[in-house]
Amino acid sequence: MKDLLSQRPAWYVIGLAIGLVTVGLFALINERVGVVGGYSSLVERATGRSSSFGWKLWFLLGVMGGALAFRLLAGGSSVGDGYGWLTRSFGSHAYAAVGGTLFAAGMLVGFGAKYAGGCTSGNGIGGTSVASPASFVATGTFMATAIAVSFVIRAVA
Amino acid sequence: MRARLAALGLGAVFGVAMSWGQFVDPDRIRDMLLLRDPYLYLMMGTAVAVGLLGTRLMRRLHARALLTGDPVRWETTRPARRHVVGAAIFGMGWAVADTCPAPIAAQLAQGALWSVFTFAGVLVGIVGYLRWQEEPSRSRAASRLGRARLETD
Repeated sequence: MKDLLSQRPAWYVIGLAIGLVTVGLFALINERVGVVGGYSSLVERATGRSSSFGWKLWFLLGVMGGALAFRLLAGGSSVGDGYGWLTRSFGSHAYAAVGGTLFAAGMLVGFGAKYAGGCTSGNGIGGTSVASPASFVATGTFMATAIAVSFVIRAVA
Repeated sequence: MRARLAALGLGAVFGVAMSWGQFVDPDRIRDMLLLRDPYLYLMMGTAVAVGLLGTRLMRRLHARALLTGDPVRWETTRPARRHVVGAAIFGMGWAVADTCPAPIAAQLAQGALWSVFTFAGVLVGIVGYLRWQEEPSRSRAASRLGRARLETD
């Protein structure tokens, strides 16, 4: 089991699983997959904007439960040591620099996903799976932006 | 209740897939965004192909959702400025942190403590968005536009 889980499977295995989750959400509860909505459900409930938690929060909790179960079965984390280019550039004890950068990047992710009506899941998979033109535009835009910004970071960091 | 359990269960499959496919590893995402590794693009292409086939098939069969009884249907949205501007802001954050909302939650659940910062940032970003949308001047503009700007998924 540990050997199986420590290697990533072929791309079509994960692609099929994610595609079936998309289809399964429609088939069971007629909803479009999305993850940032779970965070939003938490915020809206905590700030009194909504009086209950939506299904999206349950989906987000499921993502966390699945990731925890994976870690227990695999016997270790699949996140990697440190945190990518940030701890390599700033050092693994640069809590303010790495933490501050991650916090700021998280704000861009949260704000941008809400404004665009979805994240990599909601627009990139959910919206494109129902051929929503706005989701194709959003997906093309965040892919192109992220690729461009990654090359800028590689050049300067 | 059954709908919540269904969301929880399908979310768990999603979380395992994110973890097993190593989308929780920022260096994997960085390699994909630097075009060194096509895995992300091939995975998303497969997922969308399966999603398109499944949703078209359910619509053709006039399927009803098993737990809610609703006809399986969806709305599509015409592209607007927010889909470009919002996605560009999102893309910047994605490239800096090499992660997005599903992997952030999965990283945290796997015990990656750095992701506490990213998770908190996402929540604060959403609060900022909601406050911005609720500003009186924006609300007036939104009602002139038929509240189209307040639509979120």
